[in-house]
Amino acid sequence: MNGSTADLTRKRRFDRVVTVLHRDMYRYAAWLSRDVGIAEEVVQEALLRAWKSLDALREDGAAKPWLLTIVRRENARYFERKRLETVDIDNLTPAQSAMLAETENSELDDLREAIYKLDDDYREPLVLQVLMGHSTREIAELMGINPGAVLTRLHRARIKLKDTVDDANDEV
Amino acid sequence: MKCNDYRYAIAGEPSKSDDLDAHAAGCESCANFRDQMLALDLKIAQALDVAVPDLVLPDLPTLSNDNGNVVSLPQPGSRRPTVPVWIGLAASLVLVAFLGIRFVISDIEHRSLAAEIVAHLDHEPRAWRSSNVAVSEQSLASVVRDDVEQMADDIGLVTYARTCVINGHTIPHLVIQGEYGLITLLLLPDEFINRATPIEGLGIEGVILPVGNGSIAIIGERGERVTELENKLINSVKWKT
Repeated sequence: MNGSTADLTRKRRFDRVVTVLHRDMYRYAAWLSRDVGIAEEVVQEALLRAWKSLDALREDGAAKPWLLTIVRRENARYFERKRLETVDIDNLTPAQSAMLAETENSELDDLREAIYKLDDDYREPLVLQVLMGHSTREIAELMGINPGAVLTRLHRARIKLKDTVDDANDEV
Repeated sequence: MKCNDYRYAIAGEPSKSDDLDAHAAGCESCANFRDQMLALDLKIAQALDVAVPDLVLPDLPTLSNDNGNVVSLPQPGSRRPTVPVWIGLAASLVLVAFLGIRFVISDIEHRSLAAEIVAHLDHEPRAWRSSNVAVSEQSLASVVRDDVEQMADDIGLVTYARTCVINGHTIPHLVIQGEYGLITLLLLPDEFINRATPIEGLGIEGVILPVGNGSIAIIGERGERVTELENKLINSVKWKT
Protein backbone atom coordinates (compact mmCIF):
# COMPACT_ATOMS: atom_id res chain seq x y z
CA MET A 1 0.00 0.00 0.00
CA ASN A 2 1.51 3.37 -0.95
CA GLY A 3 1.59 6.38 1.36
CA SER A 4 -1.44 8.21 0.01
CA THR A 5 -3.65 5.11 0.04
CA ALA A 6 -2.57 4.36 3.59
CA ASP A 7 -3.40 7.91 4.59
CA LEU A 8 -6.82 7.66 2.97
CA THR A 9 -7.60 4.37 4.72
CA ARG A 10 -6.42 5.83 7.98
CA LYS A 11 -8.49 8.97 7.51
CA ARG A 12 -11.62 6.95 6.75
CA ARG A 13 -11.13 4.89 9.88
CA PHE A 14 -10.54 8.01 11.95
CA ASP A 15 -13.65 9.71 10.58
CA ARG A 16 -15.72 6.63 11.30
CA VAL A 17 -14.55 6.46 14.92
CA VAL A 18 -14.74 10.12 15.86
CA THR A 19 -18.01 10.83 14.08
CA VAL A 20 -19.71 8.30 16.31
CA LEU A 21 -17.92 9.25 19.52
CA HIS A 22 -17.48 12.99 19.18
CA ARG A 23 -20.57 13.69 21.27
CA ASP A 24 -19.28 11.58 24.14
CA MET A 25 -15.85 13.19 23.92
CA TYR A 26 -17.32 16.66 24.11
CA ARG A 27 -19.78 15.96 26.91
CA TYR A 28 -17.10 14.25 28.97
CA ALA A 29 -14.72 17.18 28.40
CA ALA A 30 -17.46 19.68 29.25
CA TRP A 31 -18.23 18.04 32.59
CA LEU A 32 -14.57 17.52 33.41
CA SER A 33 -13.68 21.16 32.79
CA ARG A 34 -17.12 22.69 33.53
CA ASP A 35 -16.44 25.13 30.71
CA VAL A 36 -17.71 24.75 27.13
CA GLY A 37 -14.83 26.82 25.75
CA ILE A 38 -12.21 24.63 27.42
CA ALA A 39 -14.14 21.54 26.37
CA GLU A 40 -13.88 22.54 22.72
CA GLU A 41 -10.14 23.15 23.05
CA VAL A 42 -9.61 19.87 24.88
CA VAL A 43 -11.58 17.93 22.27
CA GLN A 44 -9.58 19.52 19.45
CA GLU A 45 -6.31 18.55 21.13
CA ALA A 46 -7.68 15.08 21.85
CA LEU A 47 -8.71 14.60 18.22
CA LEU A 48 -5.25 15.58 17.06
CA ARG A 49 -3.61 13.20 19.49
CA ALA A 50 -6.03 10.43 18.57
CA TRP A 51 -5.18 10.94 14.90
CA LYS A 52 -1.47 10.64 15.61
CA SER A 53 -2.02 7.58 17.82
CA LEU A 54 -4.65 5.83 15.76
CA ASP A 55 -2.40 2.83 15.12
CA ALA A 56 -2.43 2.16 18.87
CA LEU A 57 -6.17 1.47 18.66
CA ARG A 58 -6.29 -2.18 17.69
CA GLU A 59 -10.05 -2.59 17.52
CA ASP A 60 -12.60 0.06 16.71
CA GLY A 61 -14.86 -1.54 19.31
CA ALA A 62 -12.49 -0.30 22.00
CA ALA A 63 -12.51 3.25 20.64
CA LYS A 64 -14.76 4.78 23.30
CA PRO A 65 -12.62 4.15 26.41
CA TRP A 66 -9.54 4.89 24.31
CA LEU A 67 -10.83 8.29 23.21
CA LEU A 68 -12.14 9.16 26.67
CA THR A 69 -8.73 8.33 28.11
CA ILE A 70 -7.18 10.78 25.64
CA VAL A 71 -9.77 13.44 26.55
CA ARG A 72 -9.03 12.91 30.23
CA ARG A 73 -5.29 13.35 29.67
CA GLU A 74 -5.74 16.39 27.46
CA ASN A 75 -7.98 17.96 30.07
CA ALA A 76 -5.32 17.35 32.73
CA ARG A 77 -2.66 18.82 30.43
CA TYR A 78 -4.83 21.86 29.79
CA PHE A 79 -5.22 22.57 33.48
CA GLU A 80 -1.52 21.94 34.09
CA ARG A 81 -0.67 24.48 31.41
CA LYS A 82 -3.15 27.12 32.45
CA ARG A 83 -3.03 26.61 36.22
CA LEU A 84 -6.60 27.85 36.45
CA GLU A 85 -8.02 28.99 39.70
CA THR A 86 -10.90 27.20 41.38
CA VAL A 87 -14.25 27.91 39.76
CA ASP A 88 -16.30 30.41 41.74
CA ILE A 89 -19.94 29.51 41.17
CA ASP A 90 -21.06 33.11 41.78
CA ASN A 91 -18.60 34.59 39.32
CA LEU A 92 -18.63 32.41 36.24
CA THR A 93 -17.24 33.28 32.83
CA PRO A 94 -19.69 33.10 29.89
CA ALA A 95 -18.19 29.74 28.83
CA GLN A 96 -18.69 28.39 32.33
CA SER A 97 -22.22 29.72 32.77
CA ALA A 98 -23.14 28.21 29.39
CA MET A 99 -22.98 24.87 31.19
CA LEU A 100 -25.75 26.11 33.46
CA ALA A 101 -28.01 27.69 30.86
CA GLU A 102 -31.46 27.83 32.40
CA THR A 103 -34.33 25.88 30.95
CA GLU A 104 -38.06 25.85 31.65
CA ASN A 105 -37.51 23.07 34.14
CA SER A 106 -36.22 24.69 37.33
CA GLU A 107 -35.78 21.35 39.11
CA LEU A 108 -33.48 20.21 36.33
CA ASP A 109 -31.60 23.50 36.46
CA ASP A 110 -31.07 23.09 40.21
CA LEU A 111 -29.84 19.56 39.71
CA ARG A 112 -27.44 20.61 36.95
CA GLU A 113 -26.05 23.33 39.22
CA ALA A 114 -25.65 20.78 42.01
CA ILE A 115 -23.75 18.47 39.66
CA TYR A 116 -21.64 21.42 38.55
CA LYS A 117 -20.75 22.15 42.16
CA LEU A 118 -19.79 18.56 42.97
CA ASP A 119 -16.11 17.87 43.57
CA ASP A 120 -14.33 16.54 40.51
CA ASP A 121 -13.83 13.24 42.35
CA TYR A 122 -17.60 12.80 42.59
CA ARG A 123 -18.69 14.36 39.31
CA GLU A 124 -16.41 12.41 37.01
CA PRO A 125 -17.50 8.86 37.92
CA LEU A 126 -21.11 10.03 37.80
CA VAL A 127 -20.69 11.33 34.25
CA LEU A 128 -18.90 8.15 33.20
CA GLN A 129 -21.60 5.91 34.66
CA VAL A 130 -24.80 7.81 33.87
CA LEU A 131 -23.85 9.54 30.64
CA MET A 132 -21.25 7.20 29.15
CA GLY A 133 -22.71 3.94 30.42
CA HIS A 134 -19.38 2.73 31.79
CA SER A 135 -19.27 -0.14 34.26
CA THR A 136 -17.73 0.29 37.68
CA ARG A 137 -14.66 -1.65 36.52
CA GLU A 138 -14.23 0.55 33.42
CA ILE A 139 -14.53 3.71 35.51
CA ALA A 140 -11.98 2.34 37.96
CA GLU A 141 -9.52 1.64 35.13
CA LEU A 142 -10.02 5.04 33.56
CA MET A 143 -9.63 6.91 36.84
CA GLY A 144 -6.87 4.68 38.23
CA ILE A 145 -8.69 3.80 41.44
CA ASN A 146 -10.20 0.57 42.69
CA PRO A 147 -13.85 -0.37 42.00
CA GLY A 148 -14.78 -0.02 45.65
CA ALA A 149 -13.55 3.56 45.66
CA VAL A 150 -15.64 4.24 42.55
CA LEU A 151 -18.76 2.93 44.28
CA THR A 152 -18.04 5.00 47.37
CA ARG A 153 -17.70 8.16 45.29
CA LEU A 154 -20.85 7.39 43.32
CA HIS A 155 -22.76 6.66 46.51
CA ARG A 156 -21.70 9.99 48.03
CA ALA A 157 -22.36 11.89 44.83
CA ARG A 158 -25.93 10.58 44.59
CA ILE A 159 -26.64 11.20 48.27
CA LYS A 160 -25.48 14.81 47.87
CA LEU A 161 -27.65 15.24 44.78
CA LYS A 162 -30.62 13.57 46.44
CA ASP A 163 -30.29 16.00 49.36
CA THR A 164 -30.30 18.90 46.91
CA VAL A 165 -33.43 17.62 45.19
CA ASP A 166 -35.14 16.93 48.52
CA ASP A 167 -34.27 20.42 49.82
CA ALA A 168 -35.65 21.99 46.65
CA ASN A 169 -38.87 19.97 46.98
CA ASP A 170 -39.19 21.00 50.63
CA GLU A 171 -38.92 24.66 49.67
CA VAL A 172 -41.73 24.20 47.16
CA MET B 1 -27.65 -7.76 54.16
CA LYS B 2 -28.01 -4.62 56.26
CA CYS B 3 -30.08 -1.73 54.95
CA ASN B 4 -27.03 0.55 54.97
CA ASP B 5 -25.04 -1.92 52.87
CA TYR B 6 -27.92 -2.23 50.43
CA ARG B 7 -28.23 1.53 50.13
CA TYR B 8 -24.49 1.91 49.64
CA ALA B 9 -24.63 -0.59 46.78
CA ILE B 10 -27.75 0.87 45.18
CA ALA B 11 -26.58 4.49 45.40
CA GLY B 12 -23.32 3.36 43.79
CA GLU B 13 -25.12 1.66 40.93
CA PRO B 14 -28.94 2.04 40.95
CA SER B 15 -29.50 -0.09 37.86
CA LYS B 16 -27.74 -3.04 39.44
CA SER B 17 -30.13 -5.73 40.56
CA ASP B 18 -29.19 -9.45 40.83
CA ASP B 19 -28.65 -10.44 44.45
CA LEU B 20 -29.66 -7.02 45.74
CA ASP B 21 -33.28 -7.55 44.69
CA ALA B 22 -33.83 -10.05 47.47
CA HIS B 23 -33.20 -7.44 50.12
CA ALA B 24 -35.47 -4.83 48.51
CA ALA B 25 -38.23 -7.41 48.14
CA GLY B 26 -38.34 -7.79 51.89
CA CYS B 27 -37.70 -4.18 52.89
CA GLU B 28 -40.18 -1.55 51.83
CA SER B 29 -38.00 1.33 52.98
CA CYS B 30 -35.05 0.15 50.88
CA ALA B 31 -37.30 -0.56 47.91
CA ASN B 32 -38.47 3.07 48.13
CA PHE B 33 -34.87 4.22 48.35
CA ARG B 34 -34.01 2.20 45.23
CA ASP B 35 -36.96 3.74 43.34
CA GLN B 36 -35.83 7.21 44.41
CA MET B 37 -32.30 6.50 43.16
CA LEU B 38 -33.58 5.22 39.81
CA ALA B 39 -35.77 8.31 39.42
CA LEU B 40 -32.86 10.53 40.40
CA ASP B 41 -30.67 8.87 37.78
CA LEU B 42 -33.13 9.74 35.04
CA LYS B 43 -32.97 13.38 36.12
CA ILE B 44 -29.17 13.28 36.38
CA ALA B 45 -28.96 11.92 32.83
CA GLN B 46 -31.15 14.80 31.62
CA ALA B 47 -29.13 17.36 33.56
CA LEU B 48 -25.83 16.06 32.17
CA ASP B 49 -27.02 16.18 28.58
CA VAL B 50 -25.46 19.46 27.43
CA ALA B 51 -25.70 20.73 23.86
CA VAL B 52 -22.87 19.46 21.68
CA PRO B 53 -21.45 21.61 18.85
CA ASP B 54 -20.93 20.12 15.41
CA LEU B 55 -17.78 18.11 14.89
CA VAL B 56 -14.98 20.24 13.45
CA LEU B 57 -11.81 18.30 12.83
CA PRO B 58 -8.48 20.01 13.46
CA ASP B 59 -5.86 20.10 10.67
CA LEU B 60 -4.65 16.53 10.61
CA PRO B 61 -0.99 16.15 9.67
CA THR B 62 0.10 13.52 7.15
CA LEU B 63 1.69 10.67 9.05
CA SER B 64 2.83 8.24 6.33
CA ASN B 65 6.52 8.81 7.09
CA ASP B 66 6.13 10.00 10.61
CA ASN B 67 6.16 7.05 12.95
CA GLY B 68 7.54 9.16 15.77
CA ASN B 69 4.14 10.63 16.40
CA VAL B 70 2.49 7.35 17.30
CA VAL B 71 1.66 7.43 20.95
CA SER B 72 0.76 4.25 22.78
CA LEU B 73 -2.31 4.61 24.95
CA PRO B 74 -3.99 2.06 27.15
CA GLN B 75 -7.09 0.27 25.90
CA PRO B 76 -9.11 -2.66 27.13
CA GLY B 77 -7.67 -5.98 26.09
CA SER B 78 -4.25 -4.64 25.24
CA ARG B 79 -3.60 -2.95 28.52
CA ARG B 80 -0.67 -4.26 30.50
CA PRO B 81 -1.92 -5.79 33.71
CA THR B 82 -1.78 -3.11 36.34
CA VAL B 83 -0.62 -3.94 39.81
CA PRO B 84 -3.64 -3.83 42.15
CA VAL B 85 -3.56 -0.92 44.54
CA TRP B 86 -3.41 -3.17 47.56
CA ILE B 87 -0.21 -4.83 46.36
CA GLY B 88 1.44 -1.43 46.08
CA LEU B 89 0.07 -0.53 49.45
CA ALA B 90 1.25 -3.81 50.94
CA ALA B 91 4.72 -3.27 49.44
CA SER B 92 4.76 0.21 50.94
CA LEU B 93 3.74 -1.23 54.25
CA VAL B 94 6.53 -3.81 54.10
CA LEU B 95 8.96 -0.94 53.70
CA VAL B 96 7.22 0.98 56.46
CA ALA B 97 7.45 -2.08 58.67
CA PHE B 98 11.16 -2.44 57.87
CA LEU B 99 11.76 1.17 58.84
CA GLY B 100 9.51 0.65 61.83
CA ILE B 101 11.58 -2.31 62.99
CA ARG B 102 14.75 -0.21 62.83
CA PHE B 103 13.00 2.42 64.91
CA VAL B 104 11.80 -0.15 67.41
CA ILE B 105 15.27 -1.68 67.82
CA SER B 106 16.84 1.71 68.47
CA ASP B 107 14.15 2.91 70.77
CA ILE B 108 12.23 -0.12 71.95
CA GLU B 109 11.43 1.32 75.32
CA HIS B 110 9.59 4.25 73.80
CA ARG B 111 7.68 2.68 70.97
CA SER B 112 4.70 4.83 70.24
CA LEU B 113 1.19 3.66 69.67
CA ALA B 114 1.33 5.08 66.15
CA ALA B 115 4.39 3.01 65.28
CA GLU B 116 2.76 -0.05 66.81
CA ILE B 117 -0.24 0.49 64.58
CA VAL B 118 1.82 0.96 61.43
CA ALA B 119 3.78 -2.18 62.24
CA HIS B 120 0.56 -4.06 62.92
CA LEU B 121 -0.95 -3.18 59.56
CA ASP B 122 1.86 -5.01 57.83
CA HIS B 123 0.90 -8.20 59.63
CA GLU B 124 -2.62 -8.22 58.22
CA PRO B 125 -2.16 -8.33 54.44
CA ARG B 126 -5.67 -9.78 54.04
CA ALA B 127 -7.05 -6.53 55.42
CA TRP B 128 -5.68 -4.66 52.41
CA ARG B 129 -7.56 -6.69 49.85
CA SER B 130 -10.03 -4.53 48.04
CA SER B 131 -13.58 -5.84 48.15
CA ASN B 132 -17.08 -4.62 47.47
CA VAL B 133 -18.65 -7.25 49.66
CA ALA B 134 -19.70 -6.30 53.16
CA VAL B 135 -18.90 -8.61 56.04
CA SER B 136 -21.99 -10.15 57.56
CA GLU B 137 -23.80 -8.40 60.37
CA GLN B 138 -23.00 -11.35 62.63
CA SER B 139 -19.26 -11.19 61.88
CA LEU B 140 -19.15 -7.48 62.54
CA ALA B 141 -21.12 -7.81 65.76
CA SER B 142 -18.91 -10.65 66.99
CA VAL B 143 -15.80 -8.52 66.48
CA VAL B 144 -17.01 -5.33 68.14
CA ARG B 145 -19.48 -6.50 70.78
CA ASP B 146 -16.91 -7.02 73.59
CA ASP B 147 -15.59 -3.48 73.37
CA VAL B 148 -18.17 -1.25 71.78
CA GLU B 149 -21.49 -0.35 73.37
CA GLN B 150 -22.60 1.86 70.51
CA MET B 151 -21.30 2.95 67.10
CA ALA B 152 -22.87 4.63 64.05
CA ASP B 153 -24.01 2.02 61.54
CA ASP B 154 -23.49 4.25 58.50
CA ILE B 155 -19.71 4.53 58.60
CA GLY B 156 -19.40 2.92 55.16
CA LEU B 157 -19.12 -0.51 53.64
CA VAL B 158 -17.25 -2.67 56.16
CA THR B 159 -15.34 -5.22 54.10
CA TYR B 160 -13.11 -6.67 56.80
CA ALA B 161 -13.65 -7.27 60.52
CA ARG B 162 -11.26 -9.18 62.75
CA THR B 163 -9.99 -8.99 66.30
CA CYS B 164 -6.31 -8.16 66.58
CA VAL B 165 -3.78 -7.46 69.28
CA ILE B 166 -2.33 -3.97 69.74
CA ASN B 167 -0.10 -3.20 72.71
CA GLY B 168 -1.23 -6.43 74.33
CA HIS B 169 -4.94 -5.67 74.03
CA THR B 170 -7.38 -7.49 71.78
CA ILE B 171 -9.13 -4.87 69.68
CA PRO B 172 -11.54 -4.72 66.70
CA HIS B 173 -9.81 -4.13 63.35
CA LEU B 174 -12.23 -2.97 60.65
CA VAL B 175 -11.69 -1.95 57.05
CA ILE B 176 -14.11 0.20 55.08
CA GLN B 177 -14.04 1.42 51.51
CA GLY B 178 -12.96 5.03 51.08
CA GLU B 179 -12.86 7.33 48.05
CA TYR B 180 -9.26 6.53 47.19
CA GLY B 181 -8.73 3.12 48.69
CA LEU B 182 -9.27 1.21 51.86
CA ILE B 183 -9.58 2.86 55.27
CA THR B 184 -8.48 0.96 58.35
CA LEU B 185 -10.25 1.53 61.65
CA LEU B 186 -8.71 0.26 64.85
CA LEU B 187 -11.00 0.62 67.85
CA LEU B 188 -8.77 1.04 70.89
CA PRO B 189 -10.87 1.11 74.07
CA ASP B 190 -7.81 0.63 76.30
CA GLU B 191 -5.56 3.27 74.72
CA PHE B 192 -6.25 6.61 76.34
CA ILE B 193 -4.62 9.60 74.64
CA ASN B 194 -4.91 13.32 75.40
CA ARG B 195 -4.95 14.67 71.89
CA ALA B 196 -5.15 13.59 68.26
CA THR B 197 -1.93 11.92 67.13
CA PRO B 198 -0.96 11.72 63.47
CA ILE B 199 0.12 8.45 61.86
CA GLU B 200 2.50 8.61 58.93
CA GLY B 201 3.66 5.87 56.61
CA LEU B 202 4.75 5.47 53.05
CA GLY B 203 1.64 6.17 50.98
CA ILE B 204 -0.63 6.14 53.98
CA GLU B 205 -1.58 8.59 56.65
CA GLY B 206 -3.99 8.68 59.50
CA VAL B 207 -4.77 9.83 62.96
CA ILE B 208 -5.44 8.42 66.39
CA LEU B 209 -8.38 10.27 67.91
CA PRO B 210 -9.21 10.36 71.60
CA VAL B 211 -12.69 8.93 72.21
CA GLY B 212 -13.80 8.73 75.84
CA ASN B 213 -11.32 6.65 77.80
CA GLY B 214 -9.99 5.06 74.65
CA SER B 215 -9.12 6.05 71.12
CA ILE B 216 -9.74 5.19 67.48
CA ALA B 217 -7.09 4.96 64.77
CA ILE B 218 -8.16 5.86 61.22
CA ILE B 219 -5.64 5.16 58.48
CA GLY B 220 -6.10 5.58 54.73
CA GLU B 221 -4.20 6.39 51.58
CA ARG B 222 -2.74 9.86 51.36
CA GLY B 223 -5.41 12.36 50.37
CA GLU B 224 -8.29 10.21 51.57
CA ARG B 225 -11.21 12.24 52.92
CA VAL B 226 -11.96 11.03 56.43
CA THR B 227 -13.34 14.10 58.20
CA GLU B 228 -16.94 12.93 57.93
CA LEU B 229 -15.97 9.48 59.17
CA GLU B 230 -14.01 10.98 62.07
CA ASN B 231 -17.01 13.02 63.15
CA LYS B 232 -19.35 10.06 62.92
CA LEU B 233 -17.07 7.91 65.04
CA ILE B 234 -16.26 10.55 67.63
CA ASN B 235 -19.94 11.35 68.06
CA SER B 236 -21.22 7.80 68.09
CA VAL B 237 -18.72 5.43 69.68
CA LYS B 238 -19.34 4.52 73.30
CA TRP B 239 -17.10 1.93 74.92
CA LYS B 240 -18.27 -0.85 77.17
CA THR B 241 -16.86 -0.16 80.60
